Amino acid sequence: MASGTIEDVDGAADTAATESVLRADDVAVHFGGVKAVDGVSIELTPGRIFGVLGPNGSGKSTLLAALTRLVPLTRGSLEFEGRRYDTVRPHTIAARGVARTFQTVRILPGRTVFDNVALGAESAGSAGKAERGRARQRARTAIERTGLAGKERHRPDELSYGYQRRVEIARAIASEPTLLLLDEPTAGMNRQERDDITGLLGDLRGEGLTQLLIEHDVQMMVDACDHLFAMNFGELIADGEPEAVVRHPAVQEAYLGKQGRAHA
Amino acid sequence: MIDWYFSHIVLVQSTLTTLLLALSVQVPLRAGVFSFAGVGCYGIGGYIAAIGMVHYGLSTATAILLSAVVGGVVAYALGLLIQRLTGLYLAMATVAFTLIISVLVVNGGDLTGGAAGLFGALGMLDTGHLLAVAVVVVAALTFTEIGPLGRRVEAVREDPELASAMGINVARYRRATFAVSGVLGGLAGSMTVLLRSTVTPDDINFHLVVLALTIIIVGGSRSWLGALVGTVIFVWMPEVLAFVGEWEDVVYGVLVAAAAVYLPGGVTGAAVAGYRTYRRKRREAADAPPDGPPPQPVAAGVGGDS
Ligand SMILES: Nc1ncnc2c1ncn2[C@@H]1O[C@H](COP(=O)(O)OP(=O)(O)OP(=O)(O)O)[C@@H](O)[C@H]1O
Ligand SMILES: [Mg+2]
Repeated sequence: MASGTIEDVDGAADTAATESVLRADDVAVHFGGVKAVDGVSIELTPGRIFGVLGPNGSGKSTLLAALTRLVPLTRGSLEFEGRRYDTVRPHTIAARGVARTFQTVRILPGRTVFDNVALGAESAGSAGKAERGRARQRARTAIERTGLAGKERHRPDELSYGYQRRVEIARAIASEPTLLLLDEPTAGMNRQERDDITGLLGDLRGEGLTQLLIEHDVQMMVDACDHLFAMNFGELIADGEPEAVVRHPAVQEAYLGKQGRAHA
Repeated sequence: MIDWYFSHIVLVQSTLTTLLLALSVQVPLRAGVFSFAGVGCYGIGGYIAAIGMVHYGLSTATAILLSAVVGGVVAYALGLLIQRLTGLYLAMATVAFTLIISVLVVNGGDLTGGAAGLFGALGMLDTGHLLAVAVVVVAALTFTEIGPLGRRVEAVREDPELASAMGINVARYRRATFAVSGVLGGLAGSMTVLLRSTVTPDDINFHLVVLALTIIIVGGSRSWLGALVGTVIFVWMPEVLAFVGEWEDVVYGVLVAAAAVYLPGGVTGAAVAGYRTYRRKRREAADAPPDGPPPQPVAAGVGGDS
């Protein structure tokens, strides 16, 4: 599905590079009569940023919920690093290295920034002393990288919305995942903050982290992503090079014509 | 002091056993599991200890240990059975479990002594033993309230879906709280009976559920300290309120209602919140430049730290 071959990856990693990190085949999620996701097939290859565009209600978040096993599949199959996982429980796939953020901020209200990020850092970990030390270090690194340094002791209600979103992102990257799924990570952020976050995602890609990013800002998606999926009414309507996907007539019609929520 | 202790020994001891009972309900609640199975296990523990002593001549320690183990196993099995239930339905099912226990012991024939219960189960227990058990329990529970485990338990309570997306096996945590509450209930019930030497079906009733719940609501549901504060309040209140005489129940009711309305986190929750506000004020005072403009919420975060 991912068009084009990947030649700019170090030669030795040739076989690894052609393997997919995640493969979803004919995935459908129906809520009663609502076909939130209906027959979506995607493949994510290592070290790239994939984007999902689509108007409100087109099924983007539901697709992410399906990929993280938070909603049951009506149909289809899921594969992570070559292993089927469409029947495992969500914590299992999370522990295998799939981290995510949520469209709405979901952080523990009574806990500090550090505690919230540590929760992500510790998710994979055992209880050993050495591992606990490493987890703290991962949390500190994630806090630094998301621009939260100096706010470790703050509680969520002391943070602006943009900073709360950063906590979501920090918590996800603190687990040092293999695949990072981001549901509108920069919603409610100003231009500068968005640039900070997309810069961070670019850095993470540089380190080989595969990402699936949902955002409404088309220009930002074209700039940030290596590959775009466009959805409408639960189906994939286009898939490929960002510029080509954005120019695709079906996408123009479904998304750009309406302007959706493309504020800012 | 010594005189005071001997004239209040019953209250001191029942503070410690009631604390364990309250903890048996608080532990699951802290993980978001609305279960009163601990109260049923209090009954199971009480009867196992009495039966063990009266019919089988078990030693005090063995009787207590057996009660704790059986309480834990039964509660865990119950947890497996009703693991699909949450919220009010789970609460109802566990209350029903408690009531079933009280019905079973009425119909237990010679083994349970029927409606009259069992007599002569006096254990070799003193306040020191109770205190030792309470200290060990509190130390173990502290471990579940702090550090990584404390964070995970809180995530399971606050947002189970988020917790599972963080790799936490939510179902396993829920089942574990059943087992722990069963052990604590078993300990509380067996020690209560071995101190009193008798147990009757009337000892296991809905009032225990109400007592445990009010202790936690008034004291605080987030930490063992809340259970302790609540327990001290409710065990000692009749003593303290002796002077109001027949108005005691009214005062009691008003206090519980006031706590539920005005102290959502209980006494300890309010204390923690107050302390945090104080710390935050101090930090803000320290951070603010001497005559700088006040922080502007809209501009907060512009540019960021990165
Ligand atoms: N739990 C649910 N139960 C019933 N319907 C749901 C549920 N979750 C989502 N839906 C419906 O599924 C459709 C897709 O929703 P989804 O949240 O996936 O869209 P989205 O593309 O993420 O939209 P947005 O851009 O607004 O976030 C919508 O019609 C929504 O109302
Ligand atoms: Mg969405």
